[in-house]
Amino acid sequence: MDGNKATIQKQVKLPIGVALQVVGQGIRIRLGRSVVTLLGVVFGIAFLMSLLTGQAIRTGVGRETQLRDELDRRINFLTAKTGPLKDATLGVIQAGPLDETERRFVKLLAQNGLKSFNWVGNSAPEVEQITGGRIKAVETDYARVAGGAPALLVIGDGALPEADWDAMAGRTRERAIATMRDYKPVTVSATVVPLARELQPDELARITAEKRKDKVRTIWIVTLALLVTVIGISNAMLMSVTERFREIGTMKCLGAVSGFIRQMFFIESTLLGFAGSLAGVVLGIAFSIAAFSITYGPAAIWSSLDWPRLVLYAVMSVFAGVLLSVVAAIYPAGFASRMVPATALRSTV
Amino acid sequence: MALDKKQYDDLFPENEATGRQCIIRAVNVRKTYRAGKAETHALRGATLDIFDGEYLSIMGPSGSGKSTLFNMIGGLGKPTEGKVYIDQVDIAQLDPDELAWLRCRKIGYVFQSFNLINVMSCIENVMLPMSFAGLDSEEARDKAMYLLKLVGLDHRPLHKPSELSGGQQQRCAIARALANSPQIVLADEPTANLDSKTGAEMIELLATLKRSLGVTIIAATHDLKMLQTSDRILWIDDGRIVKSARPEEIDFASGHLH
Repeated sequence: MDGNKATIQKQVKLPIGVALQVVGQGIRIRLGRSVVTLLGVVFGIAFLMSLLTGQAIRTGVGRETQLRDELDRRINFLTAKTGPLKDATLGVIQAGPLDETERRFVKLLAQNGLKSFNWVGNSAPEVEQITGGRIKAVETDYARVAGGAPALLVIGDGALPEADWDAMAGRTRERAIATMRDYKPVTVSATVVPLARELQPDELARITAEKRKDKVRTIWIVTLALLVTVIGISNAMLMSVTERFREIGTMKCLGAVSGFIRQMFFIESTLLGFAGSLAGVVLGIAFSIAAFSITYGPAAIWSSLDWPRLVLYAVMSVFAGVLLSVVAAIYPAGFASRMVPATALRSTV
Repeated sequence: MALDKKQYDDLFPENEATGRQCIIRAVNVRKTYRAGKAETHALRGATLDIFDGEYLSIMGPSGSGKSTLFNMIGGLGKPTEGKVYIDQVDIAQLDPDELAWLRCRKIGYVFQSFNLINVMSCIENVMLPMSFAGLDSEEARDKAMYLLKLVGLDHRPLHKPSELSGGQQQRCAIARALANSPQIVLADEPTANLDSKTGAEMIELLATLKRSLGVTIIAATHDLKMLQTSDRILWIDDGRIVKSARPEEIDFASGHLH
């Protein structure tokens, strides 16, 4: 019984530009409502980001504290052998490039009142800068480096140079060679003081267990944060769609196809999700830094914060915010677009 | 399924009096709403023919199935049983995109609560169905201005619905209903939210549009004034069409048939 069906055509979906325009107008006019939806996203992402930032701060500060303890321990170990280093000159043989711990160690020596270094190795200019000009002599002759020093320090990542370690150590006051790494200088008469500590198996196991526990805790916290975020965002999106059932019904009466309605809500949720996530990330980082500043002090946080990791978290959070907003809009937008116009118009939400 | 001439004439007879063709036909339409286990029979087998260019009023108390009938013959919902033909097409056979096309071009809707899109200006509301029909925006703007002039609202095209009075909003909605030059205008209690003077103006406007544009107007109404301008009036009660009359057969003083 479709006598005239040939005259009926399929309605075409409007170009995305029209949907963008309608959404833009909608957000502008319904600014108050859009802000409420936006706040749902902002708070969700801010919560997630503050937890992640908190985690990053705790890890950073923890690592910094551990490093400081370790450096203090090494200094104590060294001075136990050499006596006070104040106003002394230390002979240093650099076996290779310095790592962060070694740079900090050198700096700390300077801060503890060491007068100068007799330095053999190519990081002398850098050390000069770090220590505020405490290089006394840059030597090339191994025999002269130890002259008058309380002990000889071997530092840097590399193989030990071929040298007469007994002779070198013999010129130091304490006949001692302190090593920052696991070098094995061949000597019969000198005392080798390894400053780096070898971890005991039970200690290693404890650290591994600690790390694992920390990882599980992070996963748990992030899962919880994501869950709260999902609920916050879905709720905001669901409300913003359901309260517009009438408008959707009207649009369908005027000839809007389901795809257009869906497209509109996807555009809106993407825009709101992106803007809300950006704001949420900033808010979350600011809140977390402010809160942890009270515990650790702002200086400790600024010096130990792992910025690249924080940027990674921020990018991930924005991505999560947009994704969650879009996912949260799928159900209500799909529901709205499938609605029979008569039902949508009857809605009194 | 193609119809032969006889089947076609049987299904869509010409009105004997006017020679005009049947534009909407509802055959034994039933509509049942289900809420959990409870069933509400909103329509219990309504059959009617509406002819091209006719001004038909549907009367009935609230809850009588008036709005449901209105939705069924307007392609806004599908009947539980029975057939609805709009411009000779069985709407049950149309997919959602085809229904959207039909609603966009064949029918204009006017609602009791205007249902303008609040975030759009008056002229943008009128232009929206034209965009859905694929008209470019220049052409749509010109046509929308023409329609706003026709309904007497050409002096406030850029106002938002919230900045317009009830009567002006309904004028805007009528202009929007006419956007794609539909054959049918469906008006669901168009005067119910207006004061009686503005309501009378709206009735006059619809009657003028019917005369000048030749559109078929179907109005669900309570308004006795609306009946006087109609070509035909149907009464619906408890989901059934109970009476059909011409305005001259009604004694408007008493509200009863002569």
